[in-house]
Amino acid sequence: MPRNDTIVYMKDIVKVYPDGTVALRGVDFEVKKGEIHGLLGENGAGKTTLMKILSGLLRPTSGEIYIRGRKVHFKSASEALKHGIGMVHQHLALVPAFTAYENIILGLPGKVIDRKKIEELMETTGLKIPLDAKVEDLPFGVRQRIEILKMLYRNVDILILDEPTTNLTPIETKELFETLRNLKKQGKTIIFITHKLREVLEVTDRVTVLRRGRVVGVVETSKATPEMLAKMMVGREVVFRIEKKPARPGEPVLVVKDLWVRSDLGGWAVKGVSFAVYSGEIFGIAGVEGNGQSELVEAITGLRRVEKGQVILMGRDVTNKPPSELYRMGLSHIPEDRQKLGLVLDMTVAENSVLGIHRLKKFIGKLLNMKWKNINVHAKKIIERFEIVAPGVRAPARSLSGGNQQKLVVGRELSKTPVVIVAAQPTRGLDVAATEYIRKILIKMRDEGKAVLLVSADLDEVLQLSDRVAIMYEGEFMGIAKPEELTEEQIGLMMGGYHMDQLKNTSSNRKVLEAS
Amino acid sequence: MTEELVMILDILRGTSYAMTPLILAAVGEIVAERAGIVNIGLEGIMLLSGFMAVVFAEMAMNPWIGVLAGIGMGALIGLIHGYITAYLKGDHIISGLGINLFALGTVAFGIEAVWGVRGYYTPPLEAKVPIIPGIEISPLFIVMILITIGTYYLLYKTSIGLKIRAVGENPEAADVVGVNVELTQLLSAVYGAALAGLAGAFLSIDWLAAITKELPAGRGFIALALVNFANWNPILALGGGALFGFFWTLAEWIKNMAAIKAIIPVTLMNTIPYIATIAVVAGLIGRSRPPAHVGRPYKRE
Ligand SMILES: Nc1ncnc2c1ncn2[C@@H]1O[C@H](COP(=O)(O)OP(=O)(O)OP(=O)(O)O)[C@@H](O)[C@H]1O
Ligand SMILES: [Mg+2]
Repeated sequence: MPRNDTIVYMKDIVKVYPDGTVALRGVDFEVKKGEIHGLLGENGAGKTTLMKILSGLLRPTSGEIYIRGRKVHFKSASEALKHGIGMVHQHLALVPAFTAYENIILGLPGKVIDRKKIEELMETTGLKIPLDAKVEDLPFGVRQRIEILKMLYRNVDILILDEPTTNLTPIETKELFETLRNLKKQGKTIIFITHKLREVLEVTDRVTVLRRGRVVGVVETSKATPEMLAKMMVGREVVFRIEKKPARPGEPVLVVKDLWVRSDLGGWAVKGVSFAVYSGEIFGIAGVEGNGQSELVEAITGLRRVEKGQVILMGRDVTNKPPSELYRMGLSHIPEDRQKLGLVLDMTVAENSVLGIHRLKKFIGKLLNMKWKNINVHAKKIIERFEIVAPGVRAPARSLSGGNQQKLVVGRELSKTPVVIVAAQPTRGLDVAATEYIRKILIKMRDEGKAVLLVSADLDEVLQLSDRVAIMYEGEFMGIAKPEELTEEQIGLMMGGYHMDQLKNTSSNRKVLEAS
Repeated sequence: MTEELVMILDILRGTSYAMTPLILAAVGEIVAERAGIVNIGLEGIMLLSGFMAVVFAEMAMNPWIGVLAGIGMGALIGLIHGYITAYLKGDHIISGLGINLFALGTVAFGIEAVWGVRGYYTPPLEAKVPIIPGIEISPLFIVMILITIGTYYLLYKTSIGLKIRAVGENPEAADVVGVNVELTQLLSAVYGAALAGLAGAFLSIDWLAAITKELPAGRGFIALALVNFANWNPILALGGGALFGFFWTLAEWIKNMAAIKAIIPVTLMNTIPYIATIAVVAGLIGRSRPPAHVGRPYKRE
């Protein structure tokens, strides 16, 4: 129960959304001053809801909140801010058309705006950002730093971060953790929402685990193991290793020849990439994000113009063909940005579950009437198979938690019975159980003789799943090899711009030198 | 003075009048839309405010009372529209449409009820806004220029402007840092409608010095288009409005010349200001970019 060093104490919090969804069923949550506290839970567990209540954005249906021992009733985010509580959101609440500086000072009265102080803050925290650049031109990692600075500039000392690492590259993640430890040293309290066990173990002091709106446990991180946390979170044992039979590749199904693609800014994003994906294999593309992977995928799936080169699908030249034609030929695409490209947020779960396949005879009648019975059954099947937490098939996609929205897209795409699957970051933002399931499905698809192109910034994922892997750097492939033929060091070097031939040369050179 | 010089001065003076109501209404709407509130009822506000301006100016025998009445009428409608859209999360287009329909019916009836005439009334000279002697332009033209510059300053150089623009771009981001989204939207809607009201008063007790049920003659809708052309920027609206006013005045001039009348139909001449403005503005500005969250209600849960 609350003690002297308790800074946040939430008691018996219940939250029922207006549509009747019960997101929290009596949650007690306690954070000590100066700690990094992990909030762990699967998709839809209620993590975001709980923290939106703490930061004043949502009001609890019932329950009490104490900050530094005093009872509070927040009516808005600004009241929570006055108590020193600030939240950095999952999708970041920034105005893209504004500069970093404008975003930081937004909402503050003119008197307290002091650019010098912001610059000082950048010095002391090590959060360096270009103040006068427009947010929309900045990469995600920098945007997140802006958000954190924005909160610190408002004298926030209880900082909430909602799944901050989801869109970060491994290096950016390391930098973020460094920042968090630094902030802790300066006396800040940090609440860190995630469902990545490794991160919890690396950076937190204590963890609260949520499952379906209830607290399952609070543990000291030093006494926790990944297996134990996973079991608490999911409610059963989780297998971390993936079983995989050797691949039996057949014909080349997707062939890319000397592909050149431009980025949004007009420069070359993909510079003459060539490869083939065979039926019955998973071909992975690894690399630090932003090295042309997104543009490559968009070009292959008909969403971006191919300037030069060819895309060949099952022997047919499909370069610059519209996506609808590719889908009809059996291409299935799990897009990277699922909110923007994968879902129509204001349409229902059922409607979203048949997007793109709504013309199938199963779903549409002779009078172009939608066969709702079949559509609802289809949606329910996806919900069941992927364990999606949703109020029902008639609920708008918007009302699903971030991770459940993703599962819906992945579920729909994999239900299409495709020939080729292009999966871009398929497990990003997904919890342990869903990740496990999707990885298994990708392997199952491969075993059934489908060709899978997997693009992922999660290095473990690509290396574990892929039969062959290419490492991409600044629009080019640094090399293609079987994962087991590469050492971790070699992969790291290739991700940093060294060609595979160069690596072989250097090692053989060294041998030559040693010999002489 | 040479004949040409007289003609040029005449056209410029005509331009100063033609541009004023458009720019006033457009600049006001820019503020409202920057905060995310669309008001397609500008036409109706101009009409209602024009009517109220005549009523009050005549009653007080003072044009400035009429101007204030016009602004007040606009602000009142803005308050209603803002409340419906920002607080009740109602549909912006429906509410704006309602304003237009309401104005049409009310003013047609009002003219008859107040003055006992059908469709057209000219206020006495004492109720008309006086001209600035010497340069012979309306003082409201100067007011319009000042308001435009002031609004630009407000939007781009003050923290209030930052709030307004943030609310129209990403209300959630504004909400998170404690900006009162609804109130900001309401006040912006009031500001926008008040300026449309001023434009209406300018039409009825200044430029045209008459009230008819077709008083704005589509100017409210042209102002809406101007908002787009000007890329939601008051200074560009000033330029675009001046351009439109110039071509409009020029067309009025030319179409009354006997030689021209004989060969080109008047209706065709009437299209000139629109085509010319679109051509110039489109060429200059290129693609415009509306506030990202314009016209959509902001709901938290
Ligand atoms: N605006 C809303 N309206 C109705 N239900 C909602 C709304 N937002 C969330 N929910 C529901 O509340 C529950 C908890 O959602 P919440 O977003 O808090 O989960 P989460 O733990 O943050 O999950 P994730 O890891 O996927 O982000 C989910 O079942 C979700 O469907
Ligand atoms: Mg969440």
